[in-house]
Amino acid sequence: MNKRLARDYVGYILSWLAMSITVCICLGIFIYLFVNGISQLSPDFIFKQPVPTSNERLSGGISTPIIGSLLLTFIGIIIAFPWSLATAIFLNEYASKNKLAGILRMGIDVLSGVPTIVIAIFGLAIFTNPQFAFLSEMVPGSDKALGRSFLVAGVTMAVMVLPFMIKTCEEALKTVSNTYREASLALGASKVQTIFKVVLPASKDGLITAITLGIGRIIGDTAIVWLTLGDTLKIGNGSAPWWMPNNILNTLKGTGSTLTSFIFYASPAGEGNQTSKAFGAALVLIIIIILINLLTDFIGGFKKRVSE
Amino acid sequence: MTFIISMKLSHKGVVNIFHNEYILEEDKISSLHEKSYLSASKTSSKKWKKVREFCIEKALLLVSILSGLMILIIFAFIAAKSAKVFQANGIKFATTLGFDRQIWQAARSVVDQPVKNFGALGLIIGTLYTSLGALLISAPIGILTAVVITELAPKWLRRPFQTFIRYLASVPSVIYGLVGILVIVPFIKNHFITLEMQTKYISYFQMTGRSFIAGVIVLSFMILPIITALTIDALKAVPRRYKEAAYALGFSPWRTIVKVLLPSAKSGIFAGIILAVGAAMGEAIALSMVIGGIPNVPNPAMCSNPLDSLYTPVLTLATAIVNKSETLSGEYTSSALFACGVLLLVTCAILSFLSKAVDYIVKRRVGLE
Repeated sequence: MNKRLARDYVGYILSWLAMSITVCICLGIFIYLFVNGISQLSPDFIFKQPVPTSNERLSGGISTPIIGSLLLTFIGIIIAFPWSLATAIFLNEYASKNKLAGILRMGIDVLSGVPTIVIAIFGLAIFTNPQFAFLSEMVPGSDKALGRSFLVAGVTMAVMVLPFMIKTCEEALKTVSNTYREASLALGASKVQTIFKVVLPASKDGLITAITLGIGRIIGDTAIVWLTLGDTLKIGNGSAPWWMPNNILNTLKGTGSTLTSFIFYASPAGEGNQTSKAFGAALVLIIIIILINLLTDFIGGFKKRVSE
Repeated sequence: MTFIISMKLSHKGVVNIFHNEYILEEDKISSLHEKSYLSASKTSSKKWKKVREFCIEKALLLVSILSGLMILIIFAFIAAKSAKVFQANGIKFATTLGFDRQIWQAARSVVDQPVKNFGALGLIIGTLYTSLGALLISAPIGILTAVVITELAPKWLRRPFQTFIRYLASVPSVIYGLVGILVIVPFIKNHFITLEMQTKYISYFQMTGRSFIAGVIVLSFMILPIITALTIDALKAVPRRYKEAAYALGFSPWRTIVKVLLPSAKSGIFAGIILAVGAAMGEAIALSMVIGGIPNVPNPAMCSNPLDSLYTPVLTLATAIVNKSETLSGEYTSSALFACGVLLLVTCAILSFLSKAVDYIVKRRVGLE
């Protein structure tokens, strides 16, 4: 009896040890970034452009990486959300249990296991073809497109988040009770009307969750940015501010950087090697990601309260 | 006024509504619904509506087929780009060493005499070693953490713990890499790498602390939340009556966990582990920051102390693409990197598929579904 008790206690101790290791890793990363990054945070750091120099005092802030992150996330979601929503609608409303849907679901499931680096080189492989030069620009003196721009990276990001967003959208659609659909159909609404006027509004919260999930994934990804956006610290071609209406297309077709690629660039692994800047950018990135997570929690909590 | 409405849903979802005296035609209701009282002819509006329904359905079908086939499209494009190297090397691409040197030579070769021979065996071994090493560390920790969260922790602590796991899962890989290169790599350099090791390896590479073991540690941090989250799901899916039956038989709580809960949840746990291996194999950025970037195969026989080989650099398939990304413009070098991508894609696709299959098969055998 005593031996068994001892074994139980060993088990408990090991489990709690594992738990505390996990919590320590999580807290450790957040606290480490906070302690090292907090001294960097200042209006100058957020709103000034980075300058490529080895002198840390002159190297400026991270305004263009922040803008790059937001811009890229925006493009990615604009492409990925309608795409994944359409797929989810088809899978859930039109073909929920037939063979075709099974095959498509399998393809999407397998896609969710594909590493982002592979999707990144896929983006390069497809968008360096000269037919896609309208998304980036031609390489001078060759018959290839550059294959690196905000638009290219946005499309590639959309492919990356697609399986995750489809799954979340489908789950959102599944939460809508069938009685809604039947009632709508009984009132004489057509299937398309039912979907767009009844099912989608009813699953709004779940769809917003899908969007926040996509945002979190796009904003945290580095591999795709590194290969299909490039790591130029400036944004736009410099002839006019990047956001000017006559220049925005050039900006979108040009290269840039995001917070993640800036961290990679400024870490000892990249060329910049400005550790303190990397810490500052990492803290900003973590704060953005925590805010996105809190937003998701808030939506979930709100929904729960309403349903109770 | 009471209507008796009976609804008949045929398989295509067409609804017939019967009034007790007369049948309201479908187009009448729908035209009322669309507020098109003034529409000139009802038949044309009905026709238009049918066309619209048809078009939208087909458009959705096309988009879904595109999403479902995306994996094949990706494979086709990457395979086409890698064809040159596979043609020149065949199976030797996966069975010979020396990727680093070959890329270096190929990048500097003249256009007339391109270097066509590449061997990625070092990368494949590096990929297997790092992901399995990470799995060895994080699988026990992850599973035990999940046990604490679902069974042992007091109720009020469970939600905060789960939140920790979720936040850990949402930390971007580059931040793991940053922590790795600024904490773990200097730590290894200062505490484990001796002058003797430096001199022994100096003809091959410099020991900077960027090493196999650093990569394994960073990777194990990264896959820990995946394993934990999926184990939690699996444990929560075990029916409550299993636990009650075990208690009724006089099992202690720990014995219930080990003998009843974990075995019943093993399909989900296996699926999670396979998924985590896939994620570990495909991780590129964080690993490339800490792993050293030389496709050396850790060789325990080379040193007096076998453990020393843990501190040598390695390279994996995914990190090779990031590390050598400057050479993506070259003809054969890019083809070689795309070939690495093909190997990675095929492996991860198989693992991803396997994870689903294992979940399904084991669940059926255990009888949960």
